[in-house]
Amino acid sequence: MSKTMLEVNGLTTKYVTRFREDVYAVDHVSLKIEQGKSLGIAGESGCGKSTLALSLMGYYFPPLHYMSGDIIIDGRNISGMNPDDVRKNVLGTEIAYIPQAAMNALNPTRKIYKFIEDVVQAHNPKANKKDIYEMARHRFTELGLPLEALDKYAVELSGGMKQRVVIAISTILKPKVLIADEPSSALDVTSQKMVIKMLRDMMEKGFIQAMIFITHELPLLYNVTDDIMVMYAGQIVERGTAKQMVFDPVHPYSRGLMNSILVPEEGTRDVKLKAIPGTPPNLKKPPAGCRFAERCPYARPACTYNQMPILEFAPGRTYRCGLSVDELREIYRREDEAKGGPHDE
Amino acid sequence: MKGYRKYFGKKLAWFLITLVVAVILNFVLPRLMPADPVSAITGKMAQGMTDASAVQEIYKRYEEEFGTNKPMIEQFFIFVKNLFRGDLGTSFSQYPRKVSDIISSAIGWTIALQFPAIIVGWLLGNLLGALAAYIRKGFDKVLLPIALFLSNVPAFGMAVTLLVLFAVNLKIAPIGGGYAFDMIPNFSWRFIQSVIAHYQLPFWSIVLVSIGGQAVGMRSMSIYELNADYVKYARFLGIKDHKIVGYVFRNAMLPQVTGLALSIGTMIGGALVAEIIFSYPGLGSTMYSAVTAADYPLISATTLIITIMVLIVTFVLDIVYGFIDPRVKAAQFDA
Amino acid sequence: MKNTLRQVFHSSKFVVGFVIFVAILLTMFIYPLFNPGNPLEMIGVGTFARPGTYFSLYDAVKTPTETLRLANADDKRLGKQLSDEDRVAIVAWLSAVNVNVEGLDINDTEALLEQWRANYDPSVKPKGMTQAKRNYYKRLDAALKEVDAADTLIIADKNEEGQLEQQGTITKTDYVNVGQVANVKTLPLGTDNFGRDVLKELVSAAGTSIVIGLLAGLVATLIGLTLGLLSGYVGGICDDIIMFFTNIFTVIPGFVLLILISYSIGQEQRGAAVVALVIGLTSWTWTCRSVRSQVISLRNRDHVNLSKLSGHSLVRIILTDILPYIASYVVMAFILQVSSGILAEAQLSLLGLGPKTTEVPTLGLMMNWAMLYSAHTNGSWWAYFPVILTITLISFSLNLMNTGLDQVFNPTLRD
Repeated sequence: MSKTMLEVNGLTTKYVTRFREDVYAVDHVSLKIEQGKSLGIAGESGCGKSTLALSLMGYYFPPLHYMSGDIIIDGRNISGMNPDDVRKNVLGTEIAYIPQAAMNALNPTRKIYKFIEDVVQAHNPKANKKDIYEMARHRFTELGLPLEALDKYAVELSGGMKQRVVIAISTILKPKVLIADEPSSALDVTSQKMVIKMLRDMMEKGFIQAMIFITHELPLLYNVTDDIMVMYAGQIVERGTAKQMVFDPVHPYSRGLMNSILVPEEGTRDVKLKAIPGTPPNLKKPPAGCRFAERCPYARPACTYNQMPILEFAPGRTYRCGLSVDELREIYRREDEAKGGPHDE
Repeated sequence: MKGYRKYFGKKLAWFLITLVVAVILNFVLPRLMPADPVSAITGKMAQGMTDASAVQEIYKRYEEEFGTNKPMIEQFFIFVKNLFRGDLGTSFSQYPRKVSDIISSAIGWTIALQFPAIIVGWLLGNLLGALAAYIRKGFDKVLLPIALFLSNVPAFGMAVTLLVLFAVNLKIAPIGGGYAFDMIPNFSWRFIQSVIAHYQLPFWSIVLVSIGGQAVGMRSMSIYELNADYVKYARFLGIKDHKIVGYVFRNAMLPQVTGLALSIGTMIGGALVAEIIFSYPGLGSTMYSAVTAADYPLISATTLIITIMVLIVTFVLDIVYGFIDPRVKAAQFDA
Repeated sequence: MKNTLRQVFHSSKFVVGFVIFVAILLTMFIYPLFNPGNPLEMIGVGTFARPGTYFSLYDAVKTPTETLRLANADDKRLGKQLSDEDRVAIVAWLSAVNVNVEGLDINDTEALLEQWRANYDPSVKPKGMTQAKRNYYKRLDAALKEVDAADTLIIADKNEEGQLEQQGTITKTDYVNVGQVANVKTLPLGTDNFGRDVLKELVSAAGTSIVIGLLAGLVATLIGLTLGLLSGYVGGICDDIIMFFTNIFTVIPGFVLLILISYSIGQEQRGAAVVALVIGLTSWTWTCRSVRSQVISLRNRDHVNLSKLSGHSLVRIILTDILPYIASYVVMAFILQVSSGILAEAQLSLLGLGPKTTEVPTLGLMMNWAMLYSAHTNGSWWAYFPVILTITLISFSLNLMNTGLDQVFNPTLRD
């Protein structure tokens, strides 16, 4: 059994709005990733997946606040650490982040190699500029990125190139865990493929030890990550291997997500919203029972008031639903038959 | 460099076009009006004269001077030709002094007063604004309302307040003028001292007024930048705050350069009026006395000179901006 | 809509600005009810009467008196006549004859005079004091004693033979009740150089200036909005032409155009409305630019495209699909235009190019008059300071409202 790279136990964080209301966007999330493995997190926009990405970094700034839970990276618990310490010794070196909007992630008025210099020197103030430059060149070559990019400003790079440069910068210090928040969603299909290939390369070459990949397109994860977790309203509703989640989703929400998006193209956002009617609940006052009950076509009266714990129903597979797995599978089987056979995979 | 040359060329073309339009407007606007400026002026000049033929004589002379007896288009070419020779006509109120002569003795004072004041105000304002954005709590609550209030004090209001406070009541600064009235401009130490003493109040009143507006603008610009994605990303890479503040300051400062270019006209307008309060011997006071004395050629020339000054400053700022902001270069490659 | 308003009024900046502005507006409407009449009426013959309550001396003399014996009345009377120089001189004498003057306040007339009476002796010759200075002290002492001594004033009138005949006397202990004096006038801000009631004039001027600002803002916003909509929505050659002029007029200072046009119109034609119109005509470029950029970001949104496909007319699309989305920006731009319009009028008037001076007062004209008559150098602060404060407060309140709105509609600026 390989060692655990990232372990999260009961992590809860909240946003404080302008009107001083608390929004619990990440609610008791627990997960575990082993060395060399990757985990995908899927959900609609507003389900808390991006907040989870921010929360996993162990470093919080307003309006996001840490409430409780542990984040353990390679055996070290970072959630109790002093923020300055986290910044100096954890961010960038232990855990790194690829932001959702990589388009704007780079300082527009700083050349790429200068920025890399800043990143390296933040953790190793004595690092020699020449060495850093050499190291950056070496890394860019390894990752198949053009060396000219180093000497350019972010605005001079194309969208796909910018995203790949951001990935290279994020991993320049070989962090153990990489968290990628929709790194490919704003790109065209070719660039998307290149980004995903690059992420997988980095896992293989050992620049990173484990990865979390966040997206609103569940099917995309099938080709990218080993495991998939589905989030809804700040909670994890289901987890399994990529294959299980794509071909055999158990939770009604996972199934909704799976059915709604088939082609990752522009304009599918609207289609997706229509596929699962309704909107996520207001997290200022989350429902007492199942948070999905309001939109769930199979909800029973008890779902709306019964606390819904997360259950493991098979090794490595968990879900959070008031119906049993067998009941759900039976419902799905009948639905597929009614539609004229199971959907084609 | 190619992108930059393109940028420079574009800006230069705009500068020239705007200049031409400004000159045309300066010529046409007064002539579009229903009132005939010559008869208005003749009326002023001939006040108290009873001899009709003398009045007629004056009218003729001004008609000649203006060339209003010629067709409009011909007038315009004469106007432009004279302009190229630096001939802006003869002043009515200080006859027979040439307008160009009056302007050239005033323009130095205005440039020496306004540009340093506006630049100092801009720098201090930006520094304070960035600080306010960075420190936020408390500081923000005290400094921001003060800066907002200050930025709304009109330039002349600030001028009067400083004048009354320091010159009239405390008597630690002279009441007005560019130098003591009993002196003749020369390069003696005493004269320079006097000039410096007279410089203070006009200078600081312009500085104080520009600080407020710049600080408020810089503060929101910095807050905007502090919320930008690259700041979040840099933080998550473990980059230290002081470094990030450096990024933010630079990036927030850049639009402020464009902001300065866009508002320099308004700022100079306010500062010109402040000059009047101090009877500072610059273009503002010149314009004021020209308006009071209905000195038409002088008004026309001052407005033209001020416009050209503003155009040049805007052009220079645009060029400087192109050098310091890489985004401009990139935009030119895209275009 | 209701929710937006709630948010707007949640912004403390907006609320503060709104309250100040509404307070100014209310004053404009309510004050004239208490003090009606023409604000340009010259009630004073002299210039720059100090702020305060004036009552007719003539009426006061004819008002029945009461006798009041008040302690310190004499000292107070002396105090009003004792100049600052005299006070300093008294202290100088006291210290010259070795009296401890520490803690003696020269504004405390009572203590000062007590010390003076106890220690002044004309025969003493303090060391180093010139004869002239000693004579000055003698005169000062005599003057003080005289004021002390003179007990009554005589009221005399000419009788039938043309000789003065005593009608009555006024003693120091005679008091009249101000409420019984027939003519009393309170001038909270004194009078200006023409002898006009400054407060009344100021209230009227603030009203005119705000109207000028609103009118100028309206003109500028309408022009800017129309051009911005056309330029942004129609695009193409229309956009090119409009942007060509907008770019030019952004760089050519509006202030200069304003001077040129105002001067050319001539003093006689320049009413407040004309000035407002001219200001509006020279300041639309900002609105045009910001409206255009907003419209460009809107014009390819789904709801606009849907409208286009449904064959709605240009006007309808602009009214229902574009305008509601840019309304907040337009309102903000309008507010700024109003504030800069008020400032432009003031600056123009200071140059002598404001509205003609005979009809209505404006804040700029009041400032111009005060400066022409050197109110700032002769200490008549009431003639200009309230004007500066009013302009600043109006513009401050408008800008606060604008900042508040900006924070509501621009989420990145939120605290």
